[in-house]
Amino acid sequence: MSFEPRPTVQPWARVNKSRRAEIIFAALVPLAIAIALIAFGFDRNLTLVGVFLPIQVVSASVVGYRAFGRRGVGDAALIVFVFFLASFVLVLLASVVTSLVTQGSKALSWSFVTQNNIYVSNTTSLDYGGVGHAIVGTLMIVGLTTLVTVPLGIAMAIYLTQSQSKIKNLVRTLTQAISGLPSVVAGLFVFSMVLTFSWEKSGIMGSMALLPLMLPTVARVAEEALRLVPVDLRYAALALGAPNYRAFFQVILPAAKSGIITAILLGVARIIGETAPLLLTVPINNGTSWNIFSGSIMTLPAYIYGYLSSLFSTSQNRAWGGALVLMIIVAVLFTTTRILSRPKSMKSKPTKQKASK
Amino acid sequence: MSESSVTKPAPVRRKLSAGPLSRGDKWFFRTTSIAANFAFVLVAFILIFLFLQAAPALSSQGLPFITGSIWDSSADPIIMQIGPMIWGSVLIGAVGVVIATPLSISLAYLIVYMLPNRLASLATNLVDLLAALPSVIIGLWGLFVFSPVAAEWGATLNTYLGWFPLFNVSSADNGFGGSPFIAGWIVAIMIVPIITSITREVFSQLDRDLINGALALGGSRLSTLRRVILPTSSGAIVGGILLGLGRALGETVAIFYVLQLTFEINWGQILEPKGGAVASMILAKFGEATAAEVSGLMASGLVLFVITLIINFVASVIVNRAQPWRKN
Repeated sequence: MSFEPRPTVQPWARVNKSRRAEIIFAALVPLAIAIALIAFGFDRNLTLVGVFLPIQVVSASVVGYRAFGRRGVGDAALIVFVFFLASFVLVLLASVVTSLVTQGSKALSWSFVTQNNIYVSNTTSLDYGGVGHAIVGTLMIVGLTTLVTVPLGIAMAIYLTQSQSKIKNLVRTLTQAISGLPSVVAGLFVFSMVLTFSWEKSGIMGSMALLPLMLPTVARVAEEALRLVPVDLRYAALALGAPNYRAFFQVILPAAKSGIITAILLGVARIIGETAPLLLTVPINNGTSWNIFSGSIMTLPAYIYGYLSSLFSTSQNRAWGGALVLMIIVAVLFTTTRILSRPKSMKSKPTKQKASK
Repeated sequence: MSESSVTKPAPVRRKLSAGPLSRGDKWFFRTTSIAANFAFVLVAFILIFLFLQAAPALSSQGLPFITGSIWDSSADPIIMQIGPMIWGSVLIGAVGVVIATPLSISLAYLIVYMLPNRLASLATNLVDLLAALPSVIIGLWGLFVFSPVAAEWGATLNTYLGWFPLFNVSSADNGFGGSPFIAGWIVAIMIVPIITSITREVFSQLDRDLINGALALGGSRLSTLRRVILPTSSGAIVGGILLGLGRALGETVAIFYVLQLTFEINWGQILEPKGGAVASMILAKFGEATAAEVSGLMASGLVLFVITLIINFVASVIVNRAQPWRKN
């Protein structure tokens, strides 16, 4: 019996070459069958769920069985279902974004962003009229809410991270519970105050209605940001004789700066598209108004809402255009938060597995 | 020596406390605790003011306000009952949760246990982007793009599973638009990010030794998921589902466009174009409401607020308890 060199076995390599071909084959066959069936005129949804998915599960199970034996079968089914369901969500998201871009770009132009809506009827061409007044109104109302909410939310976060209070957990739970406040209830709340004190509906009422919706987001994200600052930094400052407030403003706040900005931006993104509270508390206006303390003022969500149910195609285009503008604002805010919250040094790879306990 | 120690009483144990030392600190902590207590004030104010305005309707309508199913503003005295709306909200919330839960758990499993780091963070960002979509945009998309597609799904379901009471309709001629099924899908899209983010966090914080142990004992992916991962994280997942349910009950604008509001209870035929939702009803009726009707809408808002507050509070307690690493 001659001595043969052992083949280099790599137990950690899950897939060898022939197996890889098998997997590609198993992935392509169900796809080909499904495409063929749809091309022959079968019902799309039924083919996807009733033909494609079962065949995919079976073919993956066969590969799994050949690779790992019986336990491979269940794994294969699990992987197929997980990918199918998760990609379904991504398809829905992609559908929202693509329809926004394709439909909204029809209306989008420089004049659409700058002009207001006076003298615009349902049949006016898309070259005239736009959302300029709504952008102004939204920025002013959201800006006022932000001015009030941010100090409040950060103070709440300080309380949740630094005080020794016994009701801290209750406050945290309640804040989280308020984050699920239905937006229409926030609007009704301010409207009930308007009725009780016989105030007047105006932009500032809209700001008030947005406050309870923004506060929990700011407080929670700011709390996370403050918690990421090592507690030793604070103790060091206190040990050097700094009072707590100087330790906060000169040590903790600078360290948590990007997290705090993220909290603010996420809060703004949360409320900038809120519709129901503004519909209930802010009178709409077709012209540009710079006064949020009295009178009517337009906002982007109200603009979209107003044109949404119209039967005229140009009006529907205006709704899509307004939605695209709103989405662009949200996307800019969102991207900024992602850039800010990116880990500082990319050298130390962020491991998914954090220290437990 | 012993006598003297008997006569002298033992010193009282002093309580050690460290209060704020400077005046600035005193104000600092006072301000923050006022801000924290604002959460309580806010909830109290909402309850008080809504109740003040809702009182006339509540006293004139009585208990049938939440059980009956007639809304007649031209009757004298006016009849306002929101039973079908409350039940409709619950039905839509249930459909939404049933759809969203498997989607969310799959997404979380994919992100934490299957994708490489870079793809995982990309997927996380996409899910968060989904959470950032304003509901009016979802409503716009739902009305023009999604509703026709979902109506097609509804028709398919009805054709092949129509014998099952849930997918039964009184007549296929009514079409399949405007049904609680479609509203449930819309709601599901909005709560998937909530459930996913909580599930993802609890998955990624799971003790790796547990999973490695299960794998070392010969467990497969499936058995590890079923026997180890899901049981240990079930608390947080249930909390996430409840948070999603609370959001679903309060969803207003998106549902407003895709649902046919009818003052008639639809017990469970989710494909029938007949449904209700408290929040959307408030929005629909608010524009032309008389003073008496406004009071009824305030009462509806109060009912909605109380229901969602209870659900959200319970959910938050569960989530906080299931995530001990969040406490400091």
